[in-house]
Amino acid sequence: MVMTVTGQPLQSALATVLRAAGWIGLALIAVAVSLSDFLANVPADTVNAGPLLGPPSEVFRFGTDVLGRDMLSETLHALSATVRAALPATAVTLVTGALFGFVAARLPRPLALSLRGLIGTLSAVPGLLLAILIIGLTSRGWASVAAGLAAAPMAFVQAFERAGTQTRAAHSEYARAAGISAVTLLRRDLIYEFTQTILSSAARALAAVTIILSTVSFLGFAAEPPHRDLGLMIAASKGYFLDAWWTAAFPALALTLLILFARLAAGLDEGERA
Amino acid sequence: MSDVRKPILELKDLSITRGGVVELERLSCVLDRGETLIVLGDDRSGKDALLRLLGGFAQRADEIAGTIKLGAGDEQPAARKMRSPIRTVYLPGIEQAPFNPHVTVASQLARVVARRHESPRESGREELRIALERLTGAPPFETLEQKPSALSAVMLSWGLLAAALAQSPDLLIADHAFAGLTPIEIKAIVAALQAEQKRAGFALLYAARGLQTAANIRGRVIVLRQGRVIEEGDFDKLASGQAHAYTRTLFRALARPGEALPARTTRGEPLLQVHGLDFRAPGDRGPKARDGLSFELRRGASLALVGEEGSGRRRLIRALLGLQPFVSGRVVLDQVDLSILSPAMTARLRRRIAFITGADDALDPRMTLWDTVDEPLRAHLGLSRDLVAGHRETALKRVGLASHDGRAAVATLSRFDKRRLQVARAIVSAPFLAVIDEPLRGLDAFAQTIMKELLDDLRKQEGPAFLIVTADVGVAQALAEDAMFFKAGRVVERGPLREILKNPKDEETRHLIEAALGQSCYKTP
Repeated sequence: MVMTVTGQPLQSALATVLRAAGWIGLALIAVAVSLSDFLANVPADTVNAGPLLGPPSEVFRFGTDVLGRDMLSETLHALSATVRAALPATAVTLVTGALFGFVAARLPRPLALSLRGLIGTLSAVPGLLLAILIIGLTSRGWASVAAGLAAAPMAFVQAFERAGTQTRAAHSEYARAAGISAVTLLRRDLIYEFTQTILSSAARALAAVTIILSTVSFLGFAAEPPHRDLGLMIAASKGYFLDAWWTAAFPALALTLLILFARLAAGLDEGERA
Repeated sequence: MSDVRKPILELKDLSITRGGVVELERLSCVLDRGETLIVLGDDRSGKDALLRLLGGFAQRADEIAGTIKLGAGDEQPAARKMRSPIRTVYLPGIEQAPFNPHVTVASQLARVVARRHESPRESGREELRIALERLTGAPPFETLEQKPSALSAVMLSWGLLAAALAQSPDLLIADHAFAGLTPIEIKAIVAALQAEQKRAGFALLYAARGLQTAANIRGRVIVLRQGRVIEEGDFDKLASGQAHAYTRTLFRALARPGEALPARTTRGEPLLQVHGLDFRAPGDRGPKARDGLSFELRRGASLALVGEEGSGRRRLIRALLGLQPFVSGRVVLDQVDLSILSPAMTARLRRRIAFITGADDALDPRMTLWDTVDEPLRAHLGLSRDLVAGHRETALKRVGLASHDGRAAVATLSRFDKRRLQVARAIVSAPFLAVIDEPLRGLDAFAQTIMKELLDDLRKQEGPAFLIVTADVGVAQALAEDAMFFKAGRVVERGPLREILKNPKDEETRHLIEAALGQSCYKTP
């Protein structure tokens, strides 16, 4: 009679397709990373493999850079370096952000709200600045941990809110009324909420830490030559990008695809993706 | 008025098949102008398919056969889209969540009325106002100038009914329209509907799961089961004798005055003792029971707290269980004064309290069926996996859920299955007290009968005391020996239920009894 029309089936099917596309993309990237040494023509940082600043050609499909390095090989090695740094960072975000958020929501109310307030304030600070601050206080070697910790506040807030919704739900109230303890209710959340959402949380965290790590490297605070990641490759092309577009375009494309696939796999909607 | 008895709806051999499943099979019936027809059955009975077709919501997947004749029109093959010379109006129930939560109720309903009359929104609003004013007992129009979340179920039901009547129906199709309302509310709203039906002469087709509304509406009944009509006749006649075993089970759910009450139990020592309890929340300036409330519930006994929504029953329960502070008084549960216990110790004491409630969100929808039953055993007793599985299997067998997929999420279960699962969870908890809150709400008549039997079995086997919260005296009569009747936060009558039913002293008690039992004064078969 006064039904609201939402078009949910179509929206849901589209979301499923996009999510699947994201996971397929990430799987392809994982294959490329694990076979990077095999797929690359030359080892990482091999100079004078071809002409200096040679455009894409039959032999060098991604062209060469100012030191004559094969851009295809360099991009593959850099993608591998980026992903290998991003994976431990993602784990740090999941544990110190998502998992801690779930647990914190079940702590005694004053403590839970204090933590929520403190970490919520931290989440308002750009992750990049937090990562630079942590690296400054430690060393470049801690870049992965720094990126993971920098992305954690946002993951904490999201997990805390999800767990908070469950805490306030009627079924939780009935369980408490029947003497079910907070520990048992936390177990419920971990089994049914955290494990159900861990894949999407991981994909979301992967996208966040990749952006932070690459930007930090671009600014020169993380990866060091000769172990270049995608952020450092883009930074290295700053001087000749306008004359040799391929020196930045291919690493940027690889980075874009990695972040895009991770965000699609996380099931982010248009607004969040923008 | 010469056309008063002319048929408004004639169905011949109507069949509806969906995805190869026959939902409705060769249904033939006639509904006259001004007549009422109640279609009674459970969710798989085929009444939903019938309502889809008549309401104009049939879908492409529905394969329809048979003929239909509407009013003075020609007989035509039944189809998704049909020519209709009559005005058919669909009246949904609140359970179908028919409102947009962000817009006021009055605005939404006025738009529906205006669209139907192809008139400006203001005219629709005026038609709605007039229709509402005609309904005796309805709230003033201004009440509907709020968003749906601010209004109670009965207010929304009044609004929906007024909007339906404002569309001047020839045939009103009510789809479980008053399900979930209390007996007093149903009685008032049905009386208003019938007065309008008498005045305007429209035909009413009411689809019902339970018998509460049907008992108020009366009229002709067809009982559907698995798409077929298994019994048909006048409601009063069917209530006094049924030919089919299924119909007999359905009508066992009908509360009847004088029905055998559970045997009065005074065994055991006191389980719950309440002394001078003022169960208002601190700071609440509402009416206070004089000298506070005192009563006692013995082990294995059953006490019903009867009253309308907001009468204070749930507030009392929360105070009794230490879930909410109270102004003054003393509560002793299982020989322990709750006021001297820490919250953690009170929680430990509550481990042997089970909740069985008509709220569909009482169980965690994410949990599996097995985990839901296992949780109290694991959390409170730390039993081994094998022992847990044994207890679980026994409990699920007793409630009839043993054949269900144990790994299915609670969210995928039907309302009746969720309710039975609550009983299974209660069985494994071996409770000394079961708090039972509107246990039959929203169930079909068949499921209501089964639920009553399951609760009776729980009481016989595990022997917990029952504390029953209900607005339906029929439920109290089926499950309790003693009762306290509430009104506006105060107890207005208390004592053995048998005595109260025979001779109610308070006006509110009399209303509650009449609404639930008053119109079903039949001899028990």
